[in-house]
Amino acid sequence: MSDRYIFRYIIILVLIVSVLLSGAALLLKPYQDMNKKNEQRINILKAAGITGIDNKNAEQLYKQHCTAEHDGDLPYYIIDGKITVIPMQGNGLWGPIWGYIGLSEDYQTVVGAVFDHKSETPGLGAEITTEHFQSQFSGRKMQRNGDDYSVEVDAIAGATRTSDGVKNMITNTLEAYKPVFEGNE
Amino acid sequence: MITAPLRKANPITVLILGICSSLAVTAKLKPAIVMALSVTVVTALSNLVISLLRKGIPSKIRIIVQLIVVATLVILVDQFLKAFMYDVSKQLSVFVGLIITNCIVMGRLEAYAMSHSPWESFLDGVGNGLGYGMILVIVAFFRELLGSGTLFGYQVIPQGFYDFGYMNNGLMILPPMALIIIGIIIWLQKPEEER
Repeated sequence: MSDRYIFRYIIILVLIVSVLLSGAALLLKPYQDMNKKNEQRINILKAAGITGIDNKNAEQLYKQHCTAEHDGDLPYYIIDGKITVIPMQGNGLWGPIWGYIGLSEDYQTVVGAVFDHKSETPGLGAEITTEHFQSQFSGRKMQRNGDDYSVEVDAIAGATRTSDGVKNMITNTLEAYKPVFEGNE
Repeated sequence: MITAPLRKANPITVLILGICSSLAVTAKLKPAIVMALSVTVVTALSNLVISLLRKGIPSKIRIIVQLIVVATLVILVDQFLKAFMYDVSKQLSVFVGLIITNCIVMGRLEAYAMSHSPWESFLDGVGNGLGYGMILVIVAFFRELLGSGTLFGYQVIPQGFYDFGYMNNGLMILPPMALIIIGIIIWLQKPEEER
């Protein structure tokens, strides 16, 4: 078989494959975006203590309970006119971590929190996504040291760096959102 | 052709291929079944496509051609799962993508599809996928039952047992136990095979 045949063969094959793949990506994109959006909605509602949500009723429940607000470029969500849910972003041990934290009307108590991560260690840092870790936050008091806000975090044994990451993420986020708390106080 | 890979030539227990993913995705039944189906689809279709192309594939670049076909199918499966089974696709995470490197797929293409007719190859692919999937489901069944006390997420061990001090075996959730269960399956299968 000549080299020319090999080149022609592989170029045609790759062209067919790329058309196939881009077609599939275009067709499935709306469904995938919908899933991502619903996941975000579920997380926001979960941080506000609303449970029993799944992919099917997420959109409806979200529209029913939640309004998106922002203060300057700080986005946040108000649930049922009472609970404020704030998006968080931070760093774990291996990569980014993120989540939502829900605060009561007077910004004194944490209602709930959800976390997710890109690449924390399974069984250790990745445990921040479990109910077991996240449930510790509901009902916890927000602490105020002078100007600083913070929330106590029970670290996961064996995942100190990820736990610290969660703690820093919460502290930094709350600090950044001070204008929101003070504006509405 | 379909039944041979289930027992006599099972890719996991006899050929010891595809161990990595069978350790990773078998903590719960649902992801294990989705993974089994994904692998079956990929082995069957890649076998079919390669067998159809086998007379035209230049032998110098046959591995590259095989890889392109496998990778395309895996990406399609991955996109499909992301669109319609988002929860499961999150649990399977990278392991769907890693089907590309699963030795079972490439092994069957080289060993079988390159030299057999499309229909035979397709059946061979289905059989190997199911042989792989069968072990995955068996392992996942025991791991979920003993590790979490549930099957498909529903509690099957009565609450009364827990009240008497029964506890879930946390070890079962961790990957090493999957290796031990696979080991036990191989041990049970070996005498029968030697006969």
